[in-house]
This record gives sequence, structure tokens and C-alpha cells, in this order.
Amino acid sequence: MLSELKELWKFRELLLTMVQREIKIRYKNSALGFLWSMLNPLITVLVMSFIFQNFLGNDQVHSATAYILAAYLPFTFFQLCLMDSAQTILIAMPLIKKIYLPREILPIASVISNFIHLLMALLMFFLFMTVVYLVHPGVWPFQWTSIYLPLLLLINLALSLGLSFYISAFNTFYEDIKYLVGVLTYLMFFMCPILYFEERVANSTLNIQWGGRLYMLMNLNPVFALSNAYRKLLIAPIKVPVNGQMVDPLPLDWRYVWWAAFVSVVILVTGYSTFNKLKWRFVERP
Amino acid sequence: MSKPAIVVSELSKQFNVNTSGANSLKTALLWWKRRQRTEYKVLRGISFDVARGECVAVVGRNGAGKSTLLSLLARVYKPTAGSVSIHGRVAPLLELGAGFHPDLTGLENIYFNSIILGLTRKEVAERVDRIVEFSELRDHVTAPTRTFSSGMLARLGFAIAIHVDAEILLVDEVLAVGDFDFERKCFAKIDEFRANGGTILFVSHNMQAVRRVADRCVWLHQGQIRMIGKPDEVIPLYESTPLDRATPA
Repeated sequence: MLSELKELWKFRELLLTMVQREIKIRYKNSALGFLWSMLNPLITVLVMSFIFQNFLGNDQVHSATAYILAAYLPFTFFQLCLMDSAQTILIAMPLIKKIYLPREILPIASVISNFIHLLMALLMFFLFMTVVYLVHPGVWPFQWTSIYLPLLLLINLALSLGLSFYISAFNTFYEDIKYLVGVLTYLMFFMCPILYFEERVANSTLNIQWGGRLYMLMNLNPVFALSNAYRKLLIAPIKVPVNGQMVDPLPLDWRYVWWAAFVSVVILVTGYSTFNKLKWRFVERP
Repeated sequence: MSKPAIVVSELSKQFNVNTSGANSLKTALLWWKRRQRTEYKVLRGISFDVARGECVAVVGRNGAGKSTLLSLLARVYKPTAGSVSIHGRVAPLLELGAGFHPDLTGLENIYFNSIILGLTRKEVAERVDRIVEFSELRDHVTAPTRTFSSGMLARLGFAIAIHVDAEILLVDEVLAVGDFDFERKCFAKIDEFRANGGTILFVSHNMQAVRRVADRCVWLHQGQIRMIGKPDEVIPLYESTPLDRATPA
């Protein structure tokens, strides 16, 4: 693995160029260009918060948009990474059949360009929060706990990159993988505290019946733990309505964050070595 | 002469082709028992050296393994057995215009392609003018390459490959794309490249071209070397062998 990393380092200039190219191409033929990376989640989240507040019993939650955005933006990054990486090798097939480059550059470039979009989106998020605060003072947009943001981003990056290695390698041989990823990430959205608060999970009848095991089980999912951590660290936790009563927010359980970090690193390392084992067979696929 | 530029030893390449043609998980899971694999031994243990500054042509019928050999030298494939060692920077010209992105402009593609070939951005910036000039594209370089004709793509591809300061050129039957003037210009550039000590390995069916530029000829036949020698010795024999249709595709 060390020699492969060395090879990758030799090609860093190419990686940089590829990321630039990817960002350039993405919005090349669209009028609003880069704005789409913020406009898209914003429109989605506005619809979501409308439903969230009016039909899901969260009338008393102010700035629902902010709470949803904080968890939704990183989730979109995760989802886009996985969906985009599936096609990276196949799209570049005419290239890698004719010329040598370390194949892992392709999924890495795709993940990094998505990561840059996430950073831009987070910047817009803080901007949005500030504007909301100025118009309608409520939730102060900057928490001191936001200093943990880089840690969360790092875990998120490792997880997405690791899974992207697996997906891009396997999808080259079996194109079913991309459909599977599409369904699974869609379902993952519902399994994560984006459209609901984790307090709802903790206080659900099923969880109480199971003696808290459901809550633990869902938290073992690194995406769940991350979504929850983003929301708790970026915005001040508030009282959450559960069955008509307002309950105090649960403190962030750091054990689950560390668990997510551990799982992510394992996935990154095994994903990278699996990719390297398979990469020479890409060009020979039937 | 110091170390040879290219050393190929006991090189073999085998492709496993799944005859069911299945490329879905379902078929793989359902039919894993009757999975049929056909093995194609494209190269069967070939060895030869190319000295620094030498120009070697590979000739042979379709399916003899010529292109596979070049791809192995360009590190697109990994050898099944044997080894390839190359000393010096390689510029493969396996297909002109491969790796151009249709939505990017000619200029952006010059940067991208040269960086894949191992230049840094600064080095590209120094030679971008020369590349544009050689390609004769003039104002077209600022247009997306999807608007280019195949001749324009070929010219740009060749212009890039010849300007990246490679020590070894791998060429696969690509010089027959430009018009007559451009072809002459390419040959002139190749002569200049050789005069500066560059090494070339190329595949061609054009025996005139082989006679004109090659120092030596490697004749591949069904994945093995039939003969190595001067073009004047190899070509008459190669051209006079009767066609046998048993050659696998």
C-alpha cells in the first residue's frame, strides 16, 4: 500500500487538475453555475421544513430550516459522493485504456470535488443563518462547538472516500451496484436524524420496549451519528416536542462519534486496498 | 551504449473473456456454476530489447498481439507473466485524442493531457505556445474539443505528445490521419526527435513507413516473435508469407 501511496503522490498535480476540471465541467453549460450547489439543497430544505413544521408536529420548533440544513448538507455530500463515484471508472474507460494513470485518482478526484461543494455549501449555510438572525433574531448562528466541524468533516470524508473506492471498483464489473447504491442511500436518508430529532428515536415506544437498544443500534450507523453530531454542534440544541410534550435535548454522545470515526477509517483502508487489488482488471472487463 | 531503453523479457499476456457476456450481478449469482471462460493467450513469452536512440517497428497480422504489446509497455495492462522495464519518460500515442474531454477547450485539454503525461503546470505553460503553433489550430484552441474534426484532434494529440520531452515514444498506427503536409511535418519532427537521441517503438501496417524510419523490425506472429532483424530482411519474408486464416482474432 505504501508504494501505491507514493505513486499517488507523484501524480498529485494530475489530481489537482482533475478536481479543477470536474468543478469546471459540472456547471459549464448552466446559466446559474455554481449557485446550483446551494440553490438545490435550499429549495429542498424549504419544502422539507414546511412539512416538518406543519405536518410532523414540530410547530413549536423555530428555524426548522437551520436544523434540517445542518444535517442535510453533509448527507447530500455523502450521497453525491457515492452516486458519482459509481461511474467514475466507466466514464474514464476510454482514457485509462490508452494511457497510464493511477486509477484511484478518478474516485478521489470525484470525492474531493464534492467535498469542495460541501465546504461552499457550509459557508452559505453560515451566511444564511446570519441573514436569518438579522431578520428574525432567534438562534445565534455561531456556536463555540462549531470548532469540532473539521473533525466531523474529516470523518465524513474518510467514510465517503472509503465507500467510493468500493463502489467505483465493483460498479466497473457489475453495473447493478449503482442502482443498489441509489436505493440504499435513499433509504439511508430516512434512517438518519434529518427529518426528525434523535430525541424522537430515544423516546419512541419501540425504543422503550427494547430497553434503549433501538437508539443504540441506530447510532451505530456512522451516518446517523454524524448527522446528529453536525446538528448538535452547529446549532444550539433546543427542546424537542415528543408526544405533545417538550423534552430536553440529549447531550451529544461522543462515544458514537468516535465509533463512526473508527468505522470510517476501517472502511477507508480496506476500500483502498480492495480497489488496488481490482484496479488492473478494470481495462480487461468484458 | 548504456542501459537499453526498453527491456521486455518473457512477457506473456492472457485475457479471460467471459463468453456468457454477462455483466450483471444477477447473472453472476445465478449462473456462477456454468460460467464459461475462454482464455486468449495474446502474448506467449516474448523477449527483446530496444536500445537508446533506436527506432523499432513491430509488424504482424491483425491479432498478432502488437497493440497488446504497446499497451503493456504503456502500463495500461499488467503482464500475466514476465516483465517490462522502461528507462525514461514515455509518451504513448496509442490513439490520438484519447483523454480529451469534449466539453473543455483545446487549451484546457493541452494542460490536462500534458499533465497526465507527466509535466507540471509550469512546464506546460512554457510550451503551450509551441504546442498550439505546431498543431496549426490557431484560434480553434479556445473552442471545446467536441467541435474539432478528427484531423484537428489528431494534430493536437501529436503536438502534445511530441512536446512533453519524452525519451521514448510508443506509437500505434496513428500517423496516417493528418493531411499530406502535416504527415511530412510529423516525420520531420520524428527525425528531429531521433536526432536528439529519442527512442521509438511503433506499430504499423504501412511497410513503406517501416522501411523509412525503422532501424529494426520485430515480427510478431500469434503472440510470439517470428523474427527480429533489419527491415530489409524481415519485410520481404513477412510480405511473402501466405495468408493463413487460422489466426485467432
